[in-house]
Amino acid sequence: MSGKSNLMADPIFPKWIDRLRPLAGVLLAVVPLYLVGMAYYAGSPETTDVGYSPVQPIAYSHALHVGEMGMDCRFCHTTVESAAFAAIPPTETCMTCHKNVAAESDKLPLLRASWADEKPIHWVKVHDLPDYVYFDHSAHVTRGIGCVSCHGRIDRMEQVAQVERLSMGWCLECHRNPEQHLRPQEFVTAMDWKPIEPQEVLGKRLREKNNINPSTDCSTCHR
Amino acid sequence: MSSLERPSAGKQYWRSLAERADAPEFRRFLEAEFPDAGVPYLSPTEKTGTGSEPKYVGTAGAVTGSVPVPVFDGDDGLSRRRWLQLMGASLALAGLSGCRWEKRELVAEVKRPKGRTPGKPQRLATAMDLAGSAIGLLVTCVDGRPIKIEGNPRHPASLGGTDAFTQAAILELYDPDRSHDVYRAAEGGPIVQTWDKFAEFARPHFAALRKSGGAGFHILAEASSSPTRAILLEQLLEELPDAMWHEYEPAARERGPLRTDFDLEASEVIVCLDADLLGAHPAAVRYAREFAKGREVVEGRMNRLYVVESHFTVTGASADHRLAIRAEQIAGFAEALRRAIEGRAPGVSPGIEEANASHPRADAQGSPDSGGSPDKFLRAMADDLLAHKGQCVVAVGPRQPGHVHETVRAINAALGNMEQTVWRTVDYGPDRLEAPQPIEALIAAANAGHVGTLLILGGNPVYNAPADLPFAEALAKIGTTIHLSRYRDETSRLCTWHLPEAHFLEAWSDARSYPGGEYSIVQPAIAPLNDGRSALEILSLLLEGRWPDAEKLVRKTFETIARIVGGGTSDQAWREILHNGISPASPAALMMPLESELPAVVESKPAGKKEKSGSDLEIVFCADAKVFDGRFANNGWLQELPDPMTRLTWDNAAILSPATAERLGVANGELVRLKYRGGEAQLPAYIMPGQADASVAVMLGYGRTAAGQVGGSSADGVAPVGVDVYRLRHSAAMHFDSGLAVEPTGVKYPLAMTQDHFAIDTVGMEARAQRVGSLIRETTLSEETGTGRGLAEHEAVEKDSSGQSAPHPRQESLWEEPEYKGHRWGMAIELSKCIGCGACVVACQAENNIPVVGKERVLVGREMHWLRIDRYFTGDPADPQIAVQPVACHHCEMAPCEQVCPFGATVHSAEGLNDMVYNRCVGTRYCANNCPYKVRRFNFFNYHKQFRDAANEVLKMAHNPEVTVRSRGVMEKCTYCVQRIQAAKIAAKNEGRPIEDGEIRTACQQACPAGAIVFGDLNDKQSAVLRACHSKRAYGMLAELNVKPRTQYLTRVRNPNPVLLTLRVREEA
Repeated sequence: MSGKSNLMADPIFPKWIDRLRPLAGVLLAVVPLYLVGMAYYAGSPETTDVGYSPVQPIAYSHALHVGEMGMDCRFCHTTVESAAFAAIPPTETCMTCHKNVAAESDKLPLLRASWADEKPIHWVKVHDLPDYVYFDHSAHVTRGIGCVSCHGRIDRMEQVAQVERLSMGWCLECHRNPEQHLRPQEFVTAMDWKPIEPQEVLGKRLREKNNINPSTDCSTCHR
Repeated sequence: MSSLERPSAGKQYWRSLAERADAPEFRRFLEAEFPDAGVPYLSPTEKTGTGSEPKYVGTAGAVTGSVPVPVFDGDDGLSRRRWLQLMGASLALAGLSGCRWEKRELVAEVKRPKGRTPGKPQRLATAMDLAGSAIGLLVTCVDGRPIKIEGNPRHPASLGGTDAFTQAAILELYDPDRSHDVYRAAEGGPIVQTWDKFAEFARPHFAALRKSGGAGFHILAEASSSPTRAILLEQLLEELPDAMWHEYEPAARERGPLRTDFDLEASEVIVCLDADLLGAHPAAVRYAREFAKGREVVEGRMNRLYVVESHFTVTGASADHRLAIRAEQIAGFAEALRRAIEGRAPGVSPGIEEANASHPRADAQGSPDSGGSPDKFLRAMADDLLAHKGQCVVAVGPRQPGHVHETVRAINAALGNMEQTVWRTVDYGPDRLEAPQPIEALIAAANAGHVGTLLILGGNPVYNAPADLPFAEALAKIGTTIHLSRYRDETSRLCTWHLPEAHFLEAWSDARSYPGGEYSIVQPAIAPLNDGRSALEILSLLLEGRWPDAEKLVRKTFETIARIVGGGTSDQAWREILHNGISPASPAALMMPLESELPAVVESKPAGKKEKSGSDLEIVFCADAKVFDGRFANNGWLQELPDPMTRLTWDNAAILSPATAERLGVANGELVRLKYRGGEAQLPAYIMPGQADASVAVMLGYGRTAAGQVGGSSADGVAPVGVDVYRLRHSAAMHFDSGLAVEPTGVKYPLAMTQDHFAIDTVGMEARAQRVGSLIRETTLSEETGTGRGLAEHEAVEKDSSGQSAPHPRQESLWEEPEYKGHRWGMAIELSKCIGCGACVVACQAENNIPVVGKERVLVGREMHWLRIDRYFTGDPADPQIAVQPVACHHCEMAPCEQVCPFGATVHSAEGLNDMVYNRCVGTRYCANNCPYKVRRFNFFNYHKQFRDAANEVLKMAHNPEVTVRSRGVMEKCTYCVQRIQAAKIAAKNEGRPIEDGEIRTACQQACPAGAIVFGDLNDKQSAVLRACHSKRAYGMLAELNVKPRTQYLTRVRNPNPVLLTLRVREEA
C-alpha cells in the first residue's frame, strides 16, 4: 500500500466538518463587515459626541435660569448676534444678579472667589468643533436658525449636554435644506416655539423672503 | 533649444543669466518644480558626485574649502533649520483634538474690557519709527493680541500702504529671542537681575551725576522722531549741563538737518540720482503711491522716471530710462546736469567725459535704455527736464555728499521746482535743531578716559560702528555702560547693564513722519510680553528717580504740541488722536522755514587719502531691503523674503556686473575676497545685470553673531546669516569709496536665490504651443495712446509664430463650464504700478500663517510663499531693464489642478474660488504638477511641530486664528484671502446689505504701497476690478491654455523718451 492511499483513507478533518463550510463562508463575509461597522459606529459622532455632558466647575443650571425664570439666551451670550462666538459671559454678568440674589449661596463660592480675586472661571467646553471648522454664530442666528436647532432644549438641562452630532454631514443636511429649521427672527431664542403652519411652508417662505441660500462650498467653513 | 534662439518676436524676457544661457541650474528648476524632491536626504556635494565639481562651503565666514552644506535630513538637521520649523504658525497640537473627550476649557474674563467682543478683531492706530521717521499703522488685534499690521489710510506717510519692515513687525514682537531679562555684568559672566535692582543702582548713580553736573556722562541714542524723547533729553541736558548726547544711525535714510520732500504725483519728469525714492527712502511708501498715480495714463500723459544709480534698486527697476554709473560718478553727473540746465545749453560734460576716460567700460555701457552713452542720456534728460519746468523733480540720495545735494538744489531751483514739486524743510523737533554729537566724539572721549557713564538707548554700535572706530575697545574704557535694546545683542554683551526694551507695539511713545513731522501717538497694543521698558521710561527714571506713567508723559507732549498748533487738549482730543492715529493739526506747517533761512547742507568729511591698492573698483554700502542695518536679522519672514532685486534669501553678496565679473574671473556664487583699507571680508559674488561696471555693492546688516536663533548667535552655536561688511566700512567713507580689491577664491557658495524657482515652462511648450503669449507684457505710452499697437504687437507675435490668425480662436472646453450667479471674485494686477518691493509677500505670510523654511529648503525650491514676485530682465545683459510681476494662484475657472486631484481636495466654489481642502489632501502633488503657473506649495515637513517646545509658545500668538495651520504632506496655495471674503460676507448679511466694492481687500492688496492690486466681484458691474479687467491692456497669463485665469494683468506701460528711442534705432542701424 502506498502512503497516498493511506492519506485518502484517513482524512485529517472528520467528515462532518464539511457541513460547516457554508457557515465558515458566512462568517468570513460577516465578521469584517461587523468589525468595520462596529468601528464606524463607535467612532461616529452619534456615539462619541452626542450626550457629552461634562461636569462644570459651577453647577449652573440652564433649566433654572432659562426654563423656570425665562431668561433670554442673549442676556448672557451677548455676542451671539454679532460675532462668531456666542461668548461665555464674564463673571461680571453673573454678579449683576448674584450680588443680591443668592449672594450667600453655598453653590457659588467659586463665583464669588472669581469676582473677588479677579480670577476667571474655567468652564468646560461642551460643543466643540474641530479647529479647522470656522463656524459663525451670528451668520446663523441673524438668518433665523433657532438656538434650539443645534443645542436642543437647553431650558430643560440641569447640566448642558450635546444633543446633535455636529458632524459635517449633519451641517450639510441643513445647508442643503435650510427650510426645516428657519424661523422668524424674533423667535430665534425661543426654546418652545412651534410654527402654526407646517415648517416646510414657513421655511420656504422665509427662505425666499430673506434670500437664504446657504453655501456648501468647502471654503464656507474650512479656510 | 536655447531661450536665446526662440523665435518669439518683440522683447525678450529672461529671469536670470542662467535662464538666458539656458544653464543647467535653470533647467533644474524648469524641469521639476521641486528638483530634489526625490532625493531629500543627500547633501549637494553628495549629489554632484564627481570630485571635480566645485566644493560647497557651509558659511562664508569660515572657509575651509570643502565643508559640505549640512545634510538635508528630515528631522535632525541644523539646529537653526530645526528651529525655523517653528517660525510659521501652528495649532498642530490643538489639531489633534479630533480625538474626542479631550477636555477643553472656556475661560471667560472676569470683566470684559469695554468694546471687546471675544474673537472679533479690533483695530488700533499706532506708528512705527524706523531710523527717525515714522509710518502710521493700524494694528489688528484678536482677543488682545496683535496679529496683523496694516497701513493707516489717514497717515500721510502710509496712505494705507506699508513696507516689508512694518509687515514683519508682528513676528519681531513675538520673537522668543527678544531680551527677557535685565543683565548685569559680573565676574564669571553676566547675571540676571531685576528692574528693581537696576532702579536701586540707577537712583544713587544718577543722583551723583546730577550733583556733578553730568560730567563724564554720555548718552548714545539711535535716531528717533519721538518729541517726548526729545523733551526728556533736553531736560536731562539742562539738569546735567556737562553731559554729552550722541546719535548714531549706521544706515541713515536721510542726511543732515535738511529734509527734502517731493510731490511725485504732480511731477511729469522724475530724475533720481542714486536716490531710491520708492524703496529705501523714509517716505517710500507715500512716494510709491504718488508715483503709481502718476503712472496712470490720463489724457495721454503719464510721468517719466529717469534713474542714475550704481546698483539696481526698486526705483531703478521702475525707471523708463536707467543709467548705471558708479556711485562716485554721480557727483560729476549732477554737476554736468546742473551746467546743462543752468546754461540751457545741453552739451557734453567734462565731468562725465573724465569719468568715462578713467573707466572705459562705462562708455560701453550704452544700451537701449541709456540711449547710447551717459552723455546722450544726460542731454535728453536735461531737455526733458527743461520742457517740464516746475513740473519735475530731481532727487539725490543720502549716500551722496553734501555738495551734490547743493548741486541738485540748484538744479531744482533753476527748473523752478522749489515750492512747486520740491520742498525743503529743516528737521523739526527740539532734539534736531541742536545737532547731536557724532559717535566719533564719543569714542575719542572714551579713549581719552573722559567717559564715566554711557547710556545707550537702542542701536547696536559694537556690531555696526565703522571698522576704524573700535567701539568695543572704547566701551571697555568706560566705567559704567547701560544698554537698552530689544535683543541681548553684540553691544549688550559688552555692557555693564543690559535692559530689555519694549517693542513699539508694547509701549507708549510718539513719533513724527518724514518730512513734515506729522504727529502720531504710538500706543501699546499689548502689555509688555518680556517686561521690557521703553527709552522714555528709562530717561524718566534718570530724571525723576522713579518709573513714570508713560501714557501721561506722552499726553503731556501731546498737550504741549496742541497748544503750539492750536489744537484741543481735552480728553476728547486725546481720544481722537488715539483713534485716528494722527493729529489733525499738523505742526509741520509751523516748522517750515523759509528757503533763505535754511542752513547749508553739512559737508561730509572729504574722503581720506585713498590707499593705492592697484584696483579701480568701487565699494558701495547699502542698507539691506530686508534686515535694514541688521536690526531685523532675527526676523525669519524678512530673512526669507527674496530681495526685491537679487531674489536672494538668507544671505548677502557682493554684487558685480557681468563685465566686471568676467574681467576679474569671478563666477556667479563664487566666494570672493574683498580687500579694502586693510580690512577683508569673504562673501559670495552675485552677478547682476545692470550693475555699474567696476562698482561692487554690498548689503549691510548680515553676519550677526548675537542676533538670535535665526540671524545667528555664537553663544548658541548658530552660524551667522551672511557676512558682516561693517568691518570693511570706514568713518571717512561711510557709503562708497574706491580702492576695493576683489579676488576670486574658486570656492563655490550655495546662494539661495528664488529667481529661477517655479519657472513657468514656456520653453518646453514651444513645440506644441507656439501660441503661448508672453507671460509679461509691456507697451509704451505712444503705442498705448496712439494706435493701440501695444496689444496689437502681441497679437502679431502670436500670429507670426503660430501661423494662425490672431487673436487665437475661442477654444471649446473639455469640461462643463459653470455659471456664476452670485459673486464672482477676481483680481487685477496693474503691472505699471507694481514696483516689486515685496511688502505683499510678507503681508501674505503674516495673514495666512505661512511658515519660514530656512535657507537649506529654499536652495531646493521649497519656499512656501503663496505669492511670489517674478523678476524678468529684458535687453542687453550689460544694461537691462527689469520688469516685475507678482504671481499667486489665478483661481482658474477651468482649473487644471482640480481636474487631476484624485481626492477632490481642490475644488471649485460657487463663487469661482479654487478652494483647497487641507483635510482631504493626501499629498499626491498631482495638482502642483498640473498647475501651469507653478503657484502651489507643498509642506514637505511639519514646519510647525516645534511649537511643542514651551520656549516657543509665545510665537503661536502671531498666528491668524482665521486661517488653518497646515501640517506635513499637505498642498497649499493662495486662497484670495477667503477668510476675509467670508468675514465681509457675514458682516454684510448680518446687516442686511450688499457687499460694497472695495470692502474686501486681500492682504497683498492692502499692503501694497502703490495700489497695484485690485480685488472684487466681477459680477458687480460697478466694481473697480471689472473696470480693470475690461481695460484693453488687460490680459490673462497663459490664457491660451483655456484655463480661464481669474487674475488678470494690466500690461505695463513704459514712457520712454522718444529722443532716446530714436538714438537707439539709429545706433542699431
